[in-house]
Amino acid sequence: MTRSRKTSSSPRRLAGLADLAGLAGAALALCAPSAGLAAPVTVRSCDRMVTVARPPQRAVSYDSNLTEMMLALDLAGQMVGYIGHRDRMRASAQDLFPKAAQLRQIQRGYPNRETLLAEGVDFYFAGWSYGMRVGGEVTPEKLARLGIPVYELTESCVRIGRREKPTLDFLYRDLLNLGRIFGVEARAEALVAGYRRRIAAVSRKITGKPRPVVFLFDSIGRAAGTAGAHSMPTALIEAAGGRNMADDTPGNWTRVSWERVIERDPDAIIMMDFGEGDARRKLDFLASRPGLRDLRAFRQGRILTLGYNELTPGPRNVTAVEKIAEFLHGDH
Amino acid sequence: MATIEPPATARARRHRALAPGLLVMALLLGAMAGSLAVGSARIPFAEVWDITLSRIMPTGAAPYWKPGLEAIVWDLRLPRILLAALVGAGLGMVGAAMQSATRNPLADPYLLGVAAGAVFGANLAILHVGDILGPATTPLFAFAGALGATLIVLSIARLTGSTTADRLILSGVAVSFVVTACANLLILFADQRSAANVMFWTLGGFGAADWGVLPAPAIALAVGGGWFLLKRRDLNALAMGDETATTLGIAVNRARLLHMTAGAFITGVMVSVSGMIGFVGLMTPHLVRMAVGGDNRVVLPASALVGALFLVLADIASRTIIAPDDLPVGVVTGVIGGLFFVLVLRKRTGA
Repeated sequence: MTRSRKTSSSPRRLAGLADLAGLAGAALALCAPSAGLAAPVTVRSCDRMVTVARPPQRAVSYDSNLTEMMLALDLAGQMVGYIGHRDRMRASAQDLFPKAAQLRQIQRGYPNRETLLAEGVDFYFAGWSYGMRVGGEVTPEKLARLGIPVYELTESCVRIGRREKPTLDFLYRDLLNLGRIFGVEARAEALVAGYRRRIAAVSRKITGKPRPVVFLFDSIGRAAGTAGAHSMPTALIEAAGGRNMADDTPGNWTRVSWERVIERDPDAIIMMDFGEGDARRKLDFLASRPGLRDLRAFRQGRILTLGYNELTPGPRNVTAVEKIAEFLHGDH
Repeated sequence: MATIEPPATARARRHRALAPGLLVMALLLGAMAGSLAVGSARIPFAEVWDITLSRIMPTGAAPYWKPGLEAIVWDLRLPRILLAALVGAGLGMVGAAMQSATRNPLADPYLLGVAAGAVFGANLAILHVGDILGPATTPLFAFAGALGATLIVLSIARLTGSTTADRLILSGVAVSFVVTACANLLILFADQRSAANVMFWTLGGFGAADWGVLPAPAIALAVGGGWFLLKRRDLNALAMGDETATTLGIAVNRARLLHMTAGAFITGVMVSVSGMIGFVGLMTPHLVRMAVGGDNRVVLPASALVGALFLVLADIASRTIIAPDDLPVGVVTGVIGGLFFVLVLRKRTGA
């Protein structure tokens, strides 16, 4: 398997195999006699240890990218629903994860504890600024007092002071931890193994190639909204054989001055598309600004548009790496 | 503002304040009880009542409700309502004291840099530090910020010899500008997604309340409020002007500084557990004085009661208007309070 070449068409097939392996694992898990008396599981979540006494049956996750991680592990049956915007969930999840349609919207904005208790939620998968805020009413410690364990998205730990350079390992770690928590370890391991193979295939293709500098265009403003050193896009761009222009700016989602964008004159631009004409507005913005419309990447049309769920931590990151690698190195 | 009254009239007024006082107290208890049945989870009032009674006077009877609902009523809603009442009472009373001590009708509890300092501390915790000390981190940082800013204001006042009320207020304004600028700098250097979180804290709310949060504001209200009530004659004298107060044997500058510091301390505690909640401290004393006159023997406790009632009601609104999400309570107090006050003004000029 590790020797497989001709990877251009195989990722999907590999993913399919991974799914099959996952199903087999699920079947095994169902047959296991310990289903009812599973031992408590403890995993690390940011700087905490979190323990679940038994696999959660009424879990809730925050917004589309985290919910897609749950769906990639085929956990819809162990969830009461999700928190976040219904439209974004529908638009994002249903092509890859049809089971998203089964999930109920529990709350639109950040949840409150009362809703979680009323729904009988027994597990919350969220992150800092992904459904939880420091000093807010829903934090791991506050929910622990109500008997609801929380697993925090690894990429978001930087917001509570943990500076670790992100790699795709963040995604693998979260999926494997969720797998342990929900008692579907085999499924998680198969899924991650498939992802690793696809990423390995990409890195074989890009070895020895030059590493173009990429500006990640997140938001329009007086300064450029972009992704900093501790963001998932930095990891994705690096895995795809490029360099994030703002990887010397600490933090996750951050700002750099437009002057700096012009001065660095990046080789390529990746636009975050929030939908509803957002990508169009960003293009118009670049075209309307002297300096920005003279950027090499803009003049040569080296612009790739990716969606929110591809650029924030989630199962679509792997496809995103493949797309970015193709975009940066495909025609060279 | 306060007017000088013959003692007999004052006594008569105090007696006249008794009936409305009892009325407000009844309204407050009613609002708190009613508020227990309000929230995103629909729980019938009878059930809410049974849950509460079973916790106050356990009969040993088996509960018929789901345990999750008991936690909602007893561990979330009740502490939240009590917190709203405590903060409202504290801000109302401090507002009354500050206005008397400074003879300034626009004085509010957030004078002396308390607001800016608290926001700075909260920003630091929310954006750059995280919950290093557990859920108490943000409140502790906010309180430290409020206290720090107040100390700076006081030392500047001392350095520049600003002991008059106006100069004290101006020192507070100057320091607030500097501290606010620094707080904004913290936002600038922070993660963009987290920056919105700061707003939710700053606009105020009681959603984070639980039993562990209550002791600090309760003690602050009991100690600080008790002290103001003890010094109500001082405050009355200060409200009449420095000269009158001096002839009544009061060390004016010292007394004023003391009262303002006490007020800042109480406010610091309140703001640290609830964020910034405008209007209550500024307007409650005015409403009270319109009804019962300017005697602080009445105004102080009455402002506490009315402030508590107002915030309990505002919190009900904040939980229902866009349920199941919470509207920041500072938004509610601003809009409802401001409009309500305009109505009151109109009525009074019309009468």
